[in-house]
Amino acid sequence: MSITLDQVTKHYGGAPVVNDVSLDIGDGEFFVLLGPSGSGKSTLLRAIAGLSGVDHGRISLHGRDVTHVAARKRGVGLVFQNYALFRHMTVADNIEFALRVRHMRARARRARREELLRLVALEGMDDRLPAQLSGGQQQRVAVARALAHKPEVLLLDEPFGALDAKIREELRRTIRQVQRELGITTVLVTHDQEEAFAMADRIGIMNQGRLLEVGAPHELYARPATRFVATFLGAANLFLARRTPDGIQVGGKTMGSAERAPGAPEHEVVAVVRPEEVELAAARESLGSRYLGNGVIDEITFTGALERLRVQLDEAVHAPLLAASDADARALQVTRTRQVNRGFEVQQGQTVAVGLRRVHVLPTPISSFTACAPSALRADVLSRQPLLAELVARMKTRVAVRIEPALGHTDAPCEAQGEFFGTTVIAAEGDNVERAEWLLRRGVKDLLVLPEAAAPPQRVLIHWMGEAARSATLAVSASVLRHVPAEAVYLGIFPGRSDSERHSYGMRELLDARSEAQAAHGLEMRTELHFGDVAQELTRRLAEAPAQMLIVGVTELKHFAQGFRALLDGGRWPVLIVQRGAP
Amino acid sequence: MAAVLPHGALADDAATRPGEHTWVHAIVRWLCITVSLTFIAAVLLAPLATVFAMALAHGLEVYARSFADPDTLAAIRLTLTTALVVVPLNTVFGLAAAWAIGKFEFRGKSMLITLIDLPLAISPVISGMVFVLLFGLHGWFGVWLQEHDISIVFALPGIILATMFVTFPYVARELIPLMQQVGNDEEEAAITLGAGGWMTFFRVTLPKVRWGLVYGMVLCNARAMGEFGAVSVVSGHIRGLTNTMPLHIEILYNEYNFVGAFAVASLLTLLAVLTLVVKTLVERTGYRRR
Repeated sequence: MSITLDQVTKHYGGAPVVNDVSLDIGDGEFFVLLGPSGSGKSTLLRAIAGLSGVDHGRISLHGRDVTHVAARKRGVGLVFQNYALFRHMTVADNIEFALRVRHMRARARRARREELLRLVALEGMDDRLPAQLSGGQQQRVAVARALAHKPEVLLLDEPFGALDAKIREELRRTIRQVQRELGITTVLVTHDQEEAFAMADRIGIMNQGRLLEVGAPHELYARPATRFVATFLGAANLFLARRTPDGIQVGGKTMGSAERAPGAPEHEVVAVVRPEEVELAAARESLGSRYLGNGVIDEITFTGALERLRVQLDEAVHAPLLAASDADARALQVTRTRQVNRGFEVQQGQTVAVGLRRVHVLPTPISSFTACAPSALRADVLSRQPLLAELVARMKTRVAVRIEPALGHTDAPCEAQGEFFGTTVIAAEGDNVERAEWLLRRGVKDLLVLPEAAAPPQRVLIHWMGEAARSATLAVSASVLRHVPAEAVYLGIFPGRSDSERHSYGMRELLDARSEAQAAHGLEMRTELHFGDVAQELTRRLAEAPAQMLIVGVTELKHFAQGFRALLDGGRWPVLIVQRGAP
Repeated sequence: MAAVLPHGALADDAATRPGEHTWVHAIVRWLCITVSLTFIAAVLLAPLATVFAMALAHGLEVYARSFADPDTLAAIRLTLTTALVVVPLNTVFGLAAAWAIGKFEFRGKSMLITLIDLPLAISPVISGMVFVLLFGLHGWFGVWLQEHDISIVFALPGIILATMFVTFPYVARELIPLMQQVGNDEEEAAITLGAGGWMTFFRVTLPKVRWGLVYGMVLCNARAMGEFGAVSVVSGHIRGLTNTMPLHIEILYNEYNFVGAFAVASLLTLLAVLTLVVKTLVERTGYRRR
């Protein structure tokens, strides 16, 4: 491996800007770090270059641990967004700087310089000052300068940011060509997904300091695993859908029958439909794909090769779209090529039949939230709780309201119709344990007990009681932590006192849990080993610092009240209960 | 102009439009130029002319003879020595302070910026007094210094200290905004290319700020040579020993040796003019490049 990052973490004033990033970049690979501004991608690049230190974790270049090696001894080439050429030096002196530092002879320096200038197509520009060059030429010089000392790794920090579109394209091609020719491992940081697609062998997508997903461009585009990646890489329509034994249902109509899973219980999922996978036709019969419903063309935008449309879905289509506002909850984004457009031309206001060609289901376990309370008023208040509102906004999902007048009354049946889908939320008031148990016994899989004043957590503690809940708890934790800039800590708690044999058993368990979290869910978490009573240990740990949250997996409800009373009563912290494996 | 324009409302209308070439505009321009030129003539050119007129009042020979006086020569030497010590020291300090302020975040940074300006704000006499209070015979370190036979006040070290105190803001003031503005990218590039700290400083940082640095040094030098108040307090006015040029001028004047006083004054003025010329050249070449 050329570049290996292991649990790299960097804080600025308490908040993590780079949060537990682990990554392997292969020899000669062109890797693009993509993310919105403030996602920590540039900080990560500077950490690789050695210009900023890390608080935690290790960085290796070609197998050599450089975590504590000074930037000038790392042997990397770095290209900055604003070129950072030495303005008082000529192009030749700029390029030869690294060679002079290494006391290379004048003749060898000149030969290397000429070679580099040819590489970036700037022959004969040796005696110019940077101010006499155009932006694109300056950046070429910067690339040549960064390559002069034959670095093992080339790092590019938004190198095209200050250039206009045409020159950007040209320089992109040059850099890609140079990279292929030299076979140098390259990391490029950008916020431009088109640039990432055009250049990358693999893309890593960052948000809020976390590396969310890594993969080949087409893989990430076709099969994103998270809502953020689905919407950040290109446009996407997100539906709240159902996974049923017959396949994926959107708006009550089965779409992806390929993903049939007989025997599995029905549950709510988030489905991604790319705008180009939506088909429009004059009538249901002429659709080549699965029919979703009817809609009215709301807006048509011409963008050259493509035509962008917005289609307002009919009231009769019960397919809630996850959108920023309620007004957009029925607006479907569609793009069509000129060719398709010629086959079926549409006008604004026209009613069309809408079909979906391809539906991709996100593996994320948290689909939507349902605020559940005995009265409409209290449910409404709960649905606007700040932490819940923030989670909903960040996860780009929605919160529904469900009224259960008999909530918590031992033998009372459910009032509202149907099963519980998604994550159910109750307010932490009194008798939390009774209400939680009541809901869990009536089929709630994921239950969030939310204190009124709960703020976004800075640390999320993770624990499960029973192996059957392990995988689901990790999945839910990973989903939460992708959207909250907090650190994850897994608490392994084992009954009884600590002794060496139990201690080593516990350590093995922790390592297993950590590697599963990392491999299967992309979740980096720290681990702690405790001995004693589970509820007591959890309560003690939660009480130690403010702004903590607990995610706990359970498999059975036999001693639920007894075990959870201390954790839930008083409502001092948010608790997310994940129930799996129970009958 | 006025004759071409119609009177009354139309003229008023024209006058309210900026950039229009009206008679109001013309008057205002003429007035501004006259006032400023008169002012400069009255407070700057007339005194300057007087200096040279008085110095040459008894002919060139007398003028030249004033410089043969050993006390005058000593004063010139002392002033130049002081400037020669003070300017490099303040340059080093200014670079260090500007580097610290421009490149690092630390506690008390804004405090440091304020403190650097302090000598500009307090009276030079007080600046001198401070050193007398510290190192004078009745000062904090006075007895200790006397025991070890070290003289600071009423000697060269005191003059240098007082001058340094008065002039240390100049280089730093000039460099701080420059360092903050140029940023760190070029230095970081140099480091990733393998350069060490000194090399980065001399090959990258210093060339970037060199014109600002020269400008600050010129200002610092001008003030160092011309300082009167602070130096007057610490010097003790010993002829031929601790008299700098400005002090010497005052003594000669009080002795009714007008030609001698103005001759030294003319030299000091020439040094100041030279400084200004250097400053202007620096501004032309250096600032035009950016």
